[in-house]
Amino acid sequence: MSRLGHFLKSFFLVDIFRGLAVTLRLYFSRKVTIEYPETVKEPAARFRGLPRLYRDDKGEPLCIACKACQRACGTNCFDIEGRREEGAKFTRPEKFDWKLDRCSFCGFCVEICPTNAIRFSHEFRLTGIRKDGLLFHRDDMYLTGDDLQKHLCGGCRRAQ
Amino acid sequence: MTPFVADLLIPVGKIVAVILYPMVMVMVMIWLERRVVALMQGRLGPNRVGFQGVLQPVADALKLFFKEDIIPRQADKLLFNISPILVMFSSLLAFCFVPLGEPIRIGTYTLTLWIAESQVGLLIVLGLSSISVFGVIFGGWASNSKYPLMGALRSVVQVLSYEIPLGLTVLTVAFVARSMDLVEIVRRQEASGVWYGFLMPISFVVFWISAVAETNRAPFDLPEAESELVAGYHTEYSGMKFAYFYMAEYAHMVLVSSLVVILFFGGWLPPFPSVKALDFLDAVPGFAWYLIKIMFFLYLYVWIRATFPRYRFDSLIRLVWKWLIPLALANFLAVVLVRHLR
Amino acid sequence: MAFREIDLNMGPQHPSTHGVLRLKLSVDNEVVLRVEPVLGYLHRGMEKLWESLTYAQVVPLTDRLDYLASLSNNLAYCLAVEKLAGIEVPKRAQYIRVALVELQRLASHLAWAGFMANDIGAMSVLLYGFEAREDILDIFEEYCGARLTVHGVRIGGVIRDVDATLVSRIRAVLERIPHRLEDIRALLDENRIWKERTVGVGRIAAGDAIDYGLTGPPLRASGVAWDMRKDIPYSSYDDFDFDVPLGANGDVYDRYFVRLEEICQSIRIVGQALDGLPEGDFKAKVPRVLKIPPGEAFHTIESPKGVLGFTVRSDGTDKPERVKMKSPSFINLQSLEHMCRGNLFSDVIGILGSLDIVLGEIDK
Repeated sequence: MSRLGHFLKSFFLVDIFRGLAVTLRLYFSRKVTIEYPETVKEPAARFRGLPRLYRDDKGEPLCIACKACQRACGTNCFDIEGRREEGAKFTRPEKFDWKLDRCSFCGFCVEICPTNAIRFSHEFRLTGIRKDGLLFHRDDMYLTGDDLQKHLCGGCRRAQ
Repeated sequence: MTPFVADLLIPVGKIVAVILYPMVMVMVMIWLERRVVALMQGRLGPNRVGFQGVLQPVADALKLFFKEDIIPRQADKLLFNISPILVMFSSLLAFCFVPLGEPIRIGTYTLTLWIAESQVGLLIVLGLSSISVFGVIFGGWASNSKYPLMGALRSVVQVLSYEIPLGLTVLTVAFVARSMDLVEIVRRQEASGVWYGFLMPISFVVFWISAVAETNRAPFDLPEAESELVAGYHTEYSGMKFAYFYMAEYAHMVLVSSLVVILFFGGWLPPFPSVKALDFLDAVPGFAWYLIKIMFFLYLYVWIRATFPRYRFDSLIRLVWKWLIPLALANFLAVVLVRHLR
Repeated sequence: MAFREIDLNMGPQHPSTHGVLRLKLSVDNEVVLRVEPVLGYLHRGMEKLWESLTYAQVVPLTDRLDYLASLSNNLAYCLAVEKLAGIEVPKRAQYIRVALVELQRLASHLAWAGFMANDIGAMSVLLYGFEAREDILDIFEEYCGARLTVHGVRIGGVIRDVDATLVSRIRAVLERIPHRLEDIRALLDENRIWKERTVGVGRIAAGDAIDYGLTGPPLRASGVAWDMRKDIPYSSYDDFDFDVPLGANGDVYDRYFVRLEEICQSIRIVGQALDGLPEGDFKAKVPRVLKIPPGEAFHTIESPKGVLGFTVRSDGTDKPERVKMKSPSFINLQSLEHMCRGNLFSDVIGILGSLDIVLGEIDK
């Protein structure tokens, strides 16, 4: 463009008005904000929430204490000890300690579990006020929802 | 109308109104800024405290009220304490001379919608609003820290430089209106039928740019921007003193918007007076028109802030000395020439 | 008030240093003389840590290096290990990897645009960039569950296959991003204030850029046509048709312009990768316990920040003996002093923004 054209564009503040037009148009646009906590966006199906242990359809625990997850984990979250009862079909975990503060949510334990016992849940509210809320024993590994929040907050008055 | 009411109650009432009016507008501005900037950015902004967030400024003020008042150890205590007051004082005092509408007749008494009218009202308002420079430089000096001092110096240089085109453009208005009395200027615009903003658009644009720079607002807010290296003259202030600086900046913005409206956009006059079909607009009181116009300019302040990056300090100074001042001078000469040739 | 040479500290806590970076500036009357970056505030001992993990366990930790472009880090490491172990990655996996990494490039550049514009004062661009980025992060969430530390590229391939629904979602997102880019360009490209702050600022000539080892968009902005994807292609990049934007002056404006053009090119590449997705496996057969005979391999890729390389040395066990990462941000940071010299210290922020550094990558 000629020098005169450039000068006129600059004098009449064309670039300024163009910028103002963009912000004005976006002022009237629909906002994508989701107002939490009134609206909670459901995460995607594969979302990596808190790893939880699961039971099968009959209510029997799926974990057989094979310790594959403990070997696969890169950050030493697990401490598992199994025990097989006399005449029982499967080994069951007697001790299954899992530390949330070490978990990097990489998913190796989920991928390697042969019985699909440990899986990612959709729990993403993982805050607590005490560190012992971050240690999960065997029965705590089945907690979800409000029970999970009570465990994480570990005795907080508000959780009662 | 007893002398008690006419000589004591009404003036005191007007003084209270003059203090309350900018403070209320400051509250509105805080809310407006946060909501409008947020909406322009594609998010919602504060909308929980009160209906649509209108109580958010109250929450902010309460928070600042309860904060600890920290004074640096080696700070000059007198100057440190005085500077927020000076900045606020200059803006508020100038409001005494800003007229809000034609006088209202109540019975036999004429209520004037200003505290004082002066034949050099324009000059007085500009002069009073310049006192804020002292507050800035005292604040920067008294903080006893090199970053606030540098920020204060830059702010002062900016304000002083931009007062020149401000004065030159205001001179064109005074020249055309043949008066420096703010009330007269509005009445002349009424008489001539065209507002000075449309008669002299260059004056308006230069005045507006200078006004944005005077109030240290984006895109001229380098002296007080957080992401820059130098943090600004109000770094060391906390609590209510910081709130004062914050509110004083908004009050200054309201003052400058009032000035723009009075000088260039007809003050309290309704638009399109010559179009008979729109005569119903006269039913709206002048004060309401004045408020609508001010709100537009305050919105423009916020709109500009949400859109543009910041000028670097030397670009800022180069802009005013190389472009705005010669342009304002040329504009003034052109206006004089055109008037003379009429 | 005249300032002689004074030392200023842009401390580790600063809104504009993109992480915990400390810059010791020496200025003479507002003109910058010396810039000395002080690093290490984010050092986590990654390279030492990796020596005690298996090859597969290292991959999620590489996410945390350049956390704005985690898939690129995954890819660089996985390519180095595959080169060392002689693993052949199936064609379909390579195409999926390209699509993922180019989406990651989009996300990284959009975040960069937002941060840089915000530092210079245009705060709305930050929000626009992040809103566009949200769409891409939603795709990553749907693909493998995580938004930021994605861990989607694995040794031998990718974590899972893409199906038709995911492909159509990606295409929908690719439709929307150019509009957001148009908004950002309308706000900044021709804006006089933006040009005042970026044109002619932080200039580095092509010869100096090569001497300093600058890579990535800053190098291309100085006019040097070097892009690993074209010059030493990996992961089937030579199958794709795309341009490499170049700048002329090597100033901040050119670096900004080059990255915005790269966003357009990345959109093209993702479209081509999805269109031409071949049949096959999404992952090669890799033994669960991967033991690699002794050897050493070095592989580089073009990450959004520059040339990212991993050296992996194996000693026959299932854990690497040594993993060394060559991070582009660390090397690009060297040239900061050259770029800042002679400019005003208000420009340091803009120049640092245009270099696009991520402290996670620098400090490891």
